[in-house]
Amino acid sequence: MKDLLTKITNAATEKFGAEYAEARAQKLFKTSFTMKEGRVEAAKQGIENGVALRALVKGSWGFASVGSLNTEILTDAISDACAMAKQASSRLKNPIKLAETKAVEDHVQVKPKRNPSEISIEDKLKTASLTNDVTLKCDRRVKSCTIDYFDLTGTSYFTNNEGTYLEQDKLYVWSRLTASALQNGVFAFSREEIGSTSGYEIFDKETPEIIGERLAKRAILQLSAKSPKGGTFPAVLGPNVVGVFVHEAFGHLAEADLALSGGVLANNLGKKIASDVVTFYDDGTINGAFGSFKYDDEGVPAKKTLLIKDGVVTGLMNNRETAQKFSVEPTGNARAEDFRVEPIIRMRNTYMAPRDCSFEELIEDVDFGYYFKSFRGGQANLDGTFQVGIQEAYEIVKGEVGEPIRDASISGNTLETLLKVDAAGKDFELSAGRCGKGQTAFIGDGGPNIRVREVIVGGSA
Amino acid sequence: MVAVLEKEFMLSLAENAVKTALRRGAAEAETFVYEGKATNIGIERGQITKSDRILDRGIGVRIQVNKAIGFAYTNIVENQKAIEEAIGKALDAAHASKPDKDWKGLPEKKTYAPIENTFDQKILELHSNDLVNVASRMLDAAVEADKRVFPIEGGCGAAYVSNAIANSNGVSGFDRATLIECSLATLAKEGNTVTPVCFEFSAERDNNIDPEWVGKEAARLAVSALKTKRIETKNYELIFTQFALQELLYYTLVNAVKADNVERNQSPFKDKLGTQVGSEKLNIYDDGLFPGGLRTGMFDGEGTPHQKTLLMEKGVLRSFLYDNYTARKAGKESTGNGSRAGYLSTPSVEATNFHILPGNKTADELLSEIDDGLIVCYLQGAHSSNPVNGEFSVVATPAWRIRKGKVEHATRGVMLAGNIFELLKNINEVSNNERKMGQLVSPWLRVANVKVIGK
Repeated sequence: MKDLLTKITNAATEKFGAEYAEARAQKLFKTSFTMKEGRVEAAKQGIENGVALRALVKGSWGFASVGSLNTEILTDAISDACAMAKQASSRLKNPIKLAETKAVEDHVQVKPKRNPSEISIEDKLKTASLTNDVTLKCDRRVKSCTIDYFDLTGTSYFTNNEGTYLEQDKLYVWSRLTASALQNGVFAFSREEIGSTSGYEIFDKETPEIIGERLAKRAILQLSAKSPKGGTFPAVLGPNVVGVFVHEAFGHLAEADLALSGGVLANNLGKKIASDVVTFYDDGTINGAFGSFKYDDEGVPAKKTLLIKDGVVTGLMNNRETAQKFSVEPTGNARAEDFRVEPIIRMRNTYMAPRDCSFEELIEDVDFGYYFKSFRGGQANLDGTFQVGIQEAYEIVKGEVGEPIRDASISGNTLETLLKVDAAGKDFELSAGRCGKGQTAFIGDGGPNIRVREVIVGGSA
Repeated sequence: MVAVLEKEFMLSLAENAVKTALRRGAAEAETFVYEGKATNIGIERGQITKSDRILDRGIGVRIQVNKAIGFAYTNIVENQKAIEEAIGKALDAAHASKPDKDWKGLPEKKTYAPIENTFDQKILELHSNDLVNVASRMLDAAVEADKRVFPIEGGCGAAYVSNAIANSNGVSGFDRATLIECSLATLAKEGNTVTPVCFEFSAERDNNIDPEWVGKEAARLAVSALKTKRIETKNYELIFTQFALQELLYYTLVNAVKADNVERNQSPFKDKLGTQVGSEKLNIYDDGLFPGGLRTGMFDGEGTPHQKTLLMEKGVLRSFLYDNYTARKAGKESTGNGSRAGYLSTPSVEATNFHILPGNKTADELLSEIDDGLIVCYLQGAHSSNPVNGEFSVVATPAWRIRKGKVEHATRGVMLAGNIFELLKNINEVSNNERKMGQLVSPWLRVANVKVIGK
């Protein structure tokens, strides 16, 4: 593979006028299925081989993706990529340059306790089937259970004309589970998501009994929940909600490409924008976490990147292109979903560092507010407006957790809200998730419980 | 773009793979051969910075053995061994699965109706130079419209997709389509004020898009979002434009009419056929044959002919959307809604062109009749709506205030909360400015009495 890919990148620089060229090949094997009330729609297995070629010519990018490892087809594709880059550069005012990185050669192997590629489909279906049974049998009001399962194994190869050559084993195990409950015409809905890069052993910890019960009980709880009030309230956010808040509300703004696009963080580097208890990281090095990897898709080692320290913005997530603009080192955040697409700046495991409050201390001073425990989805805008949809929440009344509420969401301006975070807990959880930015990336996010003096609650009551 | 695979070649690939699967022990087999090619020009931070091309081919094989289903795919189609291997993996997957008592067979052979305006040879012949030109015209139009506008990203692309399907009941079909589109995301800056991201696009199946209009509109929207005022929390009359509807309806209403969700107790429309579920102003079709529609094609992902299905007539629920499996389970005919993401997936129920019929009034008339309300263009967080009960709680980024029939100013970060199924009943007017947007074909909708949480 090394010889083939090197030949292609050499052709780019020697024959087709490229300043820089890289080739990223993948041989992937995927298994997936969807199970609905114990019925498998179709167990699926897929093989995907392909190469992504990228070249910088006269300061513009050219990119070609092909599902082939044939030398002739690849040479043709890199020639096209270079020609297209040249055409794209015709009106370029600010040519793209890349930050320098050290050339590296490495072979990264994964050593799972239980390799998903060695586990039979029967076993995978059996685990899902057990989870389904636990969920549906937990309570008669649970009416449906959908389980999506996915795993990926294989190898990714990377080379560029600067002498970097990497072979990395890839391993992802992921499952999303949803359940609905129905009582007297009231519908409720609950979701769970788990993911790991260490191996199928994730299901030894997240067993069918544990996940199934959590999923079912949350749906049941919603049946008796009431709608929240709409307005501004104090809130305690659970680790799962904090994770999404850090990812959506802050993380995207700290992606250097978005910061350069006019996001509100570009002018705030080195400035205090959050309260003292706020420290955020984006960390690609956590063993087994869903957003971890050794080298990114530009061949840069993944780092643990400090984004905010005690309220002060300390860094952004950079690829080689944005790192050059900011005169910093790239952080290893360039990721591509597969060989069909180019690498872009993506988060890895993004989280808030814990502090020292107990949960009781966080809620004891709240006269009336909400405890947002688990999220359903979230989204942010470059102007700093965030929204997080909530699937499990409770009232806080006179310092105690009260009745459940359903289908709320919270919103606000990120920078204003970060200043209002006035306490953080000592517990910590990291969750697996997926992030969409044109492409899908596997990520992790998390944090402790935190208290926010006020957020906007979008409730209809 | 490079040469495409011929119809005869793709069909023979599909048909031969069906034969091989049957020979190797499948009771039923279906194969789906896909080819997709695209050329794109990318804009980042005010300038054209990149160009890419993608060529993706593959074959997906769905087989049935003892009423258990297996599926496998490969993107290596030039190699017979790889296809054989995929067939083997599909058989393995079926052998590993339990029988499904509701499985009543793959679709039968039917004739396909002709479709209009889905393929344009001119798009196939476009070079990246032509697309650089389109992107430049769009970019220039935006920047020249107003100095405060900053185009953050966008681009244009031309794509060709073809697919061939075959199954052991004699289904055999080939279809091809083209698409060209350009889009621009902008924001406006003035002093310390940065607007939310505003977005506009143009997409067509024939080589007939309007990049200058996209650039101007994207700029106009961003500038109009600069001056904001707060509004009070109360119930307002709202206009939802197509952008907002696309977000809001996809996760709620479209889910509710899928037979799969109905049969599985996940739709509030269960047992509601023939009853009033929406305003009398609401007429909706799912129309897989809509001329020039962005989801128009001859057949669905399992070779069932596309059709025009009446879903809602004057607010009365008339039908659900079926693929072959859900239809046979319910004793009905598939409505041609077995959708598929290329060769990588098995079919699942999805709308084609979800067509909300236009009314008689112009957009301006709809606006001018509002005394105190908002026009909502972009929503944030619609995907976190409750897909089962329709509860939503989203942010409008931004919305524009309407007073006495005139758009007065933008407002930022306000939240809208309610239930989509209640909202459908409160639609009091539908405009005539129909527009295609992804799977949605719709005019604006005006809704009375929506809870808005001001900031």
